[in-house]
Amino acid sequence: MGEQHRNLARKLVTALQRKDGDRKRRPVHTFGTGASGHFIPSPVAAGFCDAEHFRSPTPATIRFSNGSGSAVRRDGWSDVRGMATRFHLSDNKATDLIGMTLPVFFTPDGESFLKFAIEARPRPCQRATPWQKFRDMLRLTPPVPDPYDGETISPDAGAIAFAHQHDYARAGVFQAATIGAPQSYARAAYHAVHSFVATGADGTQRWVRFSWQPVSGVLTTDPEKDPVIDDYLQAELARRLRNGPALFSLMMQVGEVGDDFNDPTRAWPPHRVRIMMGTLYVEKMLDDVTTEKLSFNPHLLTRGIAPSDDPVLWVRKSAYEVSSGRRRGTPCPFHGER
Amino acid sequence: MQRKAGWLDKFVDDLPSQGWFQFLSRHLVVPYWIWRDPKPVLPGGPRPSVQPSESVQRMMNLIMPLKDPSPIGRARAALAISQNVDEIFAGLDNVGTVHNARFLLLDGNICMLSVYDGDFSNYIRDFIATIGSVFDAVMKEVEGGDAMVPTTEHIEEFIDWVCAHDLFQAPDIATDLFNLQDAAKGIAPGSLPHDLRLLPRELILQLHSNPNISLGGGYRAYPGYSAAQVRQKFGVGW
Repeated sequence: MGEQHRNLARKLVTALQRKDGDRKRRPVHTFGTGASGHFIPSPVAAGFCDAEHFRSPTPATIRFSNGSGSAVRRDGWSDVRGMATRFHLSDNKATDLIGMTLPVFFTPDGESFLKFAIEARPRPCQRATPWQKFRDMLRLTPPVPDPYDGETISPDAGAIAFAHQHDYARAGVFQAATIGAPQSYARAAYHAVHSFVATGADGTQRWVRFSWQPVSGVLTTDPEKDPVIDDYLQAELARRLRNGPALFSLMMQVGEVGDDFNDPTRAWPPHRVRIMMGTLYVEKMLDDVTTEKLSFNPHLLTRGIAPSDDPVLWVRKSAYEVSSGRRRGTPCPFHGER
Repeated sequence: MQRKAGWLDKFVDDLPSQGWFQFLSRHLVVPYWIWRDPKPVLPGGPRPSVQPSESVQRMMNLIMPLKDPSPIGRARAALAISQNVDEIFAGLDNVGTVHNARFLLLDGNICMLSVYDGDFSNYIRDFIATIGSVFDAVMKEVEGGDAMVPTTEHIEEFIDWVCAHDLFQAPDIATDLFNLQDAAKGIAPGSLPHDLRLLPRELILQLHSNPNISLGGGYRAYPGYSAAQVRQKFGVGW
């Protein structure tokens, strides 16, 4: 299974590489902004998950990112954003939690993700003609948005065509197409998408999903206005942190019998019980060299949290390793594992 | 190389904000699609689920059209509620699964909005058993209500009537609308391809069939426990 995942992961990383990307960087979530801080668990957290960072305060490194794999930073464009958090545990151990602003993934397994990555490869995009737009209006369909200034290729048309044929991709593609741009990395909610098995202090195991909620609230830019500045999120975060830490609450949603624990394309209903697991204090900016070399991995877990059988979670383990090797990042935590 | 926007592009981009185009859309385009692609009325209330958290803090948004929507008729409806305050409090306490209930007069309707735990039919049954007299007073003011008075003797008809007047709850995941529309037509959800770009049109046409809807199943604030759990935790149960 390991070699099979690695083969698929290599194809995936290749398929995700955009022609306007930079092979020395990540193929997606290419531009990042690093920060450090610490996590303070809530008084009830350890009862639901016995992992070390839910028992005691833990230093953390955070990488916020734009989802695009383009080699040009476009903060103001509508795009999924990422938040990768490394909790630095005792004895030089660590555990990662990787979230994105999209609450679901596009496909339920690695093979279908490869198909999606190929079909949604950015292709040349043009402003729709007036006649196409007029026809769309008469069909009660919103016209395809005009490309941004400087946008020559886009994954949108391929992704929508894929979702047309594959109902599992609908929710992810629809939300990605309308997601917008945040006012700040500290004003977006990030979802870890996959299910994990959390073991509580009393040994009870629960299927759970994690989300970061910004304490200052979610706020996106006005989609009706042209994005003015391409690169503002890093400077905004630095400015914000000079005035005090940015806070995120870690919410843990508990699944129930009947939920699909292994399908990241389906959000669990919002009515599931949620537990407030703690607060992340993002305190200091980190330099780009340190952050961009970091190699996170959604499989880097610790005692108290185990992976589900979600096939995407498993293929991501290898994909992150392949990507880290190709861009010569700090070795992936699973580097050399066979 | 991007094609530059010309005057025709700007003219078309501006159409949705033009009054004449809005008029045309409302009176010609939308009616055409309603004729071409009619949508079935989707049922009101929460959708069936056996999962425990789906039975907690459910919403009822009951919109009841008044027989007489004039100020006199609306005042009569207001009196039907205000003269039964003791009955309402006693009933809510005895049902035991209700978080809160309130009545509103909105245009020509009297509305009952409540948040409850558990099964919908049982909720209505319990309500009729405990505050049937209040419903009787309200139903006398409501279109089609006379036939169900006294409600204690028309329980099943009353449940059906409430179902028909409870608002359709739009899915929490927008794209699930396709599946609900398919299911209403007897088509297995997920068996037909759907063009995502048509989702806004599907919503517009659905809003013709279900003009009033609840946007989602409610945003339940943390921690979102049931009334019974709260009673037990605070030691005020029975």
